[in-house]
Amino acid sequence: MSVSSAEAVETASQDQTTPPQPLSAAPRSWAESWPIDTSLPRLYLPNDTTSRAVGAMEVYTELMHRIERALGATPPTTFVGSRGLFFLEPLVEVELPTGERVAYGPMRTSMLTKRNLELILQGRRIAGATLGPLAEHPHLIGQQRLVFGSCGILPPNDLQALRSQGAYGALERALLRSPPEVIDEVVASGLQGRGGAGFPCGLKWRTTAAAAGSPKYIVANGDEGDPGTYADRMLLEGDPHRLIEGMAIAAYAVGATEGYVYIRGEYPAAIASMRTAITQAREAGILGPRMLGSGGPFDLRVAINGGAYICGEETALLESIEGRRGMVRAKPPYPAESGLFRKPTVVNNVLTLASIPWILRNGARAWKKHGTEGSPGTVVLQLGGSLRTPCLIEVPFGLSLREVVSGYGGGTPKGLKLKAVQCGGPLGGLLPPRLLDTPVSFEGLKAAGGLLGHGGIVVYDHRTDMVDLSHHFMEFCAHESCGKCTPCRIGSHRAEELLQKVLDGEGSPEDLDRLRELAHTMTWASLCALGGLAPSPVLSALEHFPREFEARLKRTGGGA
Amino acid sequence: MAAPAGRVPLPRVASDPLPVLERGTPTVALTIDGVRVRVPEGLPLIEAAKLVGVEIPHLCHDQKLEPYGSCRMCLVQIEGRGGFPASCTTKATDGLVVTTRSTALTRLRTNVMDLYLSDHPPDCLTCAANNICPLQDEAADSGIRKISFVGERHESAIDRSNPYFDFDPTKCIVCVKCVRACGEIQGTFALSLSGRGFDTKVIAGDGGPFGGSPCVSCGACVSVCPTGALQEKTIIAAGTPTGSVRTTCSYCGVGCQFDAQTKAGHIINLQPVGQSPVNFGHACVKGRFGWEFVNSPERLTTPLIRGADGQLHHASWEEALDRIEERLNALRAAHGPDALGGISSARGTNEENYLMQKLMRAAVGTNNIDNCARVCHSATVAGMMETFGTGAATNSLSDINLADVLMVVGANVTEAHPVTGSRIRQAVARGARLIVIDPRRIALVDDADVFLQLRPGTNVAVLNGLGHLIVREGWIDKDFIERRTEEYNAYKLTIAKYTPEYVQDISGVPPDALWKAAYLYSHSRASMCLHGLGVSEHKTGSYGVMALANLAMLTGNVGKPGTGINPLRGQNNVQGACDMGALPLTYTTYQKVSDGKVRKRFEEAYGVELPTAPGRKIPEMYEAMLAGQMRALYIVGDDIAQTDPNSAMVEQALRTLDFLVVQDIFLTKTAAMAHVVLPAASYLEKDGTFTNGERRIQRIRKVVDPPGDARADWEIICDVSNRLGYHMHYADPGEVFAEAAALTPLYSGATYARLEGEGLQWPVPNDRHPGTTVMHEKQFPRGKGKFAPHDYEPPGEEPTEAYPFTMITGRGLFQYNCGSMTQRTKLRALEPEDLLEVNPADARRLGIAMDERVALESARGKITIRVLLSDRVAPGQVFTTFHYAETDVNRLLSSSADVLSKCPEYKVSTVNIRRLQP
Repeated sequence: MSVSSAEAVETASQDQTTPPQPLSAAPRSWAESWPIDTSLPRLYLPNDTTSRAVGAMEVYTELMHRIERALGATPPTTFVGSRGLFFLEPLVEVELPTGERVAYGPMRTSMLTKRNLELILQGRRIAGATLGPLAEHPHLIGQQRLVFGSCGILPPNDLQALRSQGAYGALERALLRSPPEVIDEVVASGLQGRGGAGFPCGLKWRTTAAAAGSPKYIVANGDEGDPGTYADRMLLEGDPHRLIEGMAIAAYAVGATEGYVYIRGEYPAAIASMRTAITQAREAGILGPRMLGSGGPFDLRVAINGGAYICGEETALLESIEGRRGMVRAKPPYPAESGLFRKPTVVNNVLTLASIPWILRNGARAWKKHGTEGSPGTVVLQLGGSLRTPCLIEVPFGLSLREVVSGYGGGTPKGLKLKAVQCGGPLGGLLPPRLLDTPVSFEGLKAAGGLLGHGGIVVYDHRTDMVDLSHHFMEFCAHESCGKCTPCRIGSHRAEELLQKVLDGEGSPEDLDRLRELAHTMTWASLCALGGLAPSPVLSALEHFPREFEARLKRTGGGA
Repeated sequence: MAAPAGRVPLPRVASDPLPVLERGTPTVALTIDGVRVRVPEGLPLIEAAKLVGVEIPHLCHDQKLEPYGSCRMCLVQIEGRGGFPASCTTKATDGLVVTTRSTALTRLRTNVMDLYLSDHPPDCLTCAANNICPLQDEAADSGIRKISFVGERHESAIDRSNPYFDFDPTKCIVCVKCVRACGEIQGTFALSLSGRGFDTKVIAGDGGPFGGSPCVSCGACVSVCPTGALQEKTIIAAGTPTGSVRTTCSYCGVGCQFDAQTKAGHIINLQPVGQSPVNFGHACVKGRFGWEFVNSPERLTTPLIRGADGQLHHASWEEALDRIEERLNALRAAHGPDALGGISSARGTNEENYLMQKLMRAAVGTNNIDNCARVCHSATVAGMMETFGTGAATNSLSDINLADVLMVVGANVTEAHPVTGSRIRQAVARGARLIVIDPRRIALVDDADVFLQLRPGTNVAVLNGLGHLIVREGWIDKDFIERRTEEYNAYKLTIAKYTPEYVQDISGVPPDALWKAAYLYSHSRASMCLHGLGVSEHKTGSYGVMALANLAMLTGNVGKPGTGINPLRGQNNVQGACDMGALPLTYTTYQKVSDGKVRKRFEEAYGVELPTAPGRKIPEMYEAMLAGQMRALYIVGDDIAQTDPNSAMVEQALRTLDFLVVQDIFLTKTAAMAHVVLPAASYLEKDGTFTNGERRIQRIRKVVDPPGDARADWEIICDVSNRLGYHMHYADPGEVFAEAAALTPLYSGATYARLEGEGLQWPVPNDRHPGTTVMHEKQFPRGKGKFAPHDYEPPGEEPTEAYPFTMITGRGLFQYNCGSMTQRTKLRALEPEDLLEVNPADARRLGIAMDERVALESARGKITIRVLLSDRVAPGQVFTTFHYAETDVNRLLSSSADVLSKCPEYKVSTVNIRRLQP
């Protein structure tokens, strides 16, 4: 799962013709002539990139075929996003006459017997895949789905259905308040940036609101580049209107008139889904010259990353939107004061902005009831690696890593021993089992030498070679370095070379000292977080697994 | 120099200039290494540190460039802040306590240097940058003693494709200063980065050699390179220069300052001066690199005398002066002093021009003295005299930085005045609006907000049309018009008929574009007009200039910073040559010969009676020669046979002369016709002053000795004068300048001592006066500004069936005027011939292909020329440069000239194109 996004894209791009369709649209391979019998119960079919990657479309197609063959008609279907329980995909939900939805998964074509089809359409048990009402599933029941509340439940591009369930209600309320009041509410919520830095969102907005310059911009950072993260993609595909609502509220609060959703190019379905949602919002008068008829002008565009990890860094991202090479700018000035086209710009992560509607609807106090003192609210974690049940969860801050990894993640598969947990992507430190009681929060992970980052948690089992892993991450950073500052441009390459030397059995104790010294330089002298945090995995591996490195050093005659 | 009004120059430290900030910029107090200092708020810490004498190590920082923050050598510590912020990107704020040296900082800097050196060749001793290499200096400063890393190193072949500098990527440390300079200073964006991470590298164009890229060879990249990666070929060949002399460029009228660097009596290179308010460390290809002509073997090294065999023969100075004395005296005796004339050079110094007019008036006794400004901006002088009362640029080049709207009219600035062109591009990049009015789609159009592509010769109609809209829409500056001007009603009456539709009929400019330009020009805090020869070199040139002045007065855009009417002077000392009275009707700074009081003052100073009859302008001299009224001519530094229009007529006129003396550095086409040729020193071989297009008087200084027997023009003129019996003895040009200044109110406060540094902008009425950056702030020299409306009149020639194309001529980037200098440099390779720009639609119609050689004919003559298909010219129009004698394009031009000033109509003539092969 740790590489789910990359694999998923490959699969998705194979069965999709260009331009990619938003996930709400039926794939072209579906027979268009199937008659629909509306007396049959409606099927809800998760159709995001991950579901497709595990073969959902093949299962759904076969399912519809067989129902049609058996009954002469097919039931009405609604495509939805994913709930993040990937170990249950492909998933089929049946809406019973009572309105309740019962789920089946993981479905396989071999299960689609005539008998099972009848049972499914009645919402009854079938062998091996009956899940019952998903809301009561043990994986979901403990979660606090504030941001992902609609994802996998409501159709992402059915604006009417979404609005009947409260979408854009928060924007309506926000427009009744003054912009400073809206900002105050966000400040009071203590919402921190979900991209990794954890900067207080409200303060950023306040800076942009006060900054001189026009126009002002809202930029949603959906350049989700950390291996092992996929929350932005899930939201962009599964609930794009929530992001638009958050951005519109931000625009109203700071006086911005234009916005960009910056999405990585490897997310074609997310791009398509987002574009459809923007068009819908424009047609509905939510975006445009007057937001919801009473606000100021605000409109959105989608910008696409060409493949550079560094473009997830906010200033490189802005350069990229401006049409330049994705390179980091020195800060200050911060984008809040001088950002896109050197104008005041709020750059927030997709998840940060998607948290806004809930906060405006339910209030800062309700938000702060969740989480810890230093990290209020919920956190969206993406579990992957050597786990039994890799999944996306949204839980209050403060759970221990152990609860997350062993509980929601189901622990390591049988026979495998957990060796290290890495939180926060390739820039996050590797935490050994003895630190599993670390609370998952900005402050908790930091204290343990880890990083919350974008909430990706990858578990490594005892088969992992820590030297190789260190080398892998340094290679990643060297490859993704924008090439601007010297410590990162040359330093990451030199570090990679030193680690290769150790891997090759040619390293000396001096090389490890050199590596530590280089890591110190990169940490303190780099221009941005990529260079500054690139040594974290290596340093933590050296700290927690020193013997693996020593064992690889070249044996000299003197027995050093 | 003088503080530009409204701005406060800061104290200067080290070799980098400090920024000029708006007056009233708040200052902040901070502590740097224990020293408290007050600096302007927002100054980068690295610059603030210089004020207390602290040099913070750096490699990617340059005061001229936007802070970048990549090298990480300039890290500092700030009390109360974590980490190590870069001092180039951190701005000074109140109360900071900054430490620039500590054990922790040394550790980081040494380690960063370790990384740099791990991918840099270690052979400093054989590097051309040895001893002039910031990387080397910083390495020494860091105390690094050993390179820790043995790993991959980049090695690439040296790119030697540029004629003036080499690019050795192996030595590049990817500080990106070159890329930034190309974009931020020059505005060409020829350089960029390619690759990522460790493989990030600088490329020119799309990655090929510099030679084939959009690079314009301005050398900005070379100037800022902190290693030997970008290095001038002359330094590679000759090693590090040892001496340095500050001087002024002798190409266009911008007046860039250079340090001419020398070694063992030879010039090694010219380095633009960072502190100069004119070129702020920048230069163009001609100024920076085009100086090798001084070493040309074709330089004149002895006088030449035409012998009985009709050939020119080497002679001694004694012989040459004897001949001059004898012939001029004889001709003067036989035909009177007005049968003699002098043409002075706008390329020469103020001192030389002053002496030349003094020679003609006091020694010969005639006002027949003119200079080559006649053929460029004389119409500007006439037009601005009429409206404002003085004929010079109202504002300063640095005002470009202060203008909200720039209106560039008839000037291909990026080629003809490249450093000013860059300045305009910088201003646009910072948000200034740009209006371009030109018949050609010049490069600056890409930066423009609105482009008025008018038919050649229709300036007056278009400018009147702008006035019409501004009046009609009520966008006028009523207060300014009432307080500062007269004749507004006459103007209103004249422009009434210049509706956008009427203007479109005449000029082809669409009404919407006209409206947008009128709106922009009249809706800013400060709109600045810059114009070139595309305004003046017309039959109605002076009316065009008046139309510009009218617009400035109409909108109150004159007499304050960032505004005004600013002619871009084409030659280094056009301003000074005219200021010094090398004009037939005026003594220095336009004091009229016809004014008895003025004449008396000059007579007293010169100790002789001065002629009263008005002198002849250059075109009038030709007429007089052809009529047999002029028998002798003394030309200093002007190749009229090649550069004046209708050159067949000019040659014919010269042939009628009984005696022609030409003083030059090369045997030009004109010199080849002379009876006596005198070898002169070039600008790098003499002392003096030039006055640039913004009225700034700047020193030029002798760098090397002239070749052979060549001498400075001022010395030669003195000798000639003495031979003619009028005593001229000066120890040096400083004495000449002092004499001229004493007779010249606008210059009277200037002395060589006061010209040190940035020079002085006239008026400098007294020795306390700081010079004048903005003229006419309180009133115009003529009192009130005068609206001088004129109706549109068609140019001297309009297309006919026989000559259906309108031809425009102008300057190219890599060549200069008659080419006597630039064609004796490697610039020849960059622009090897004049090309005829033809619109592809016309070419298709005529069946002409790219690069084809065609016959170009006018009523005056026929030339052949190679075709460049280009949509820079509109259909029905063609354009060519005029640099090559081989092309001889001026043969095609007519003698049509501005009705007031006799400035020739170089910009409009009608021609026909014929294929050479069927």
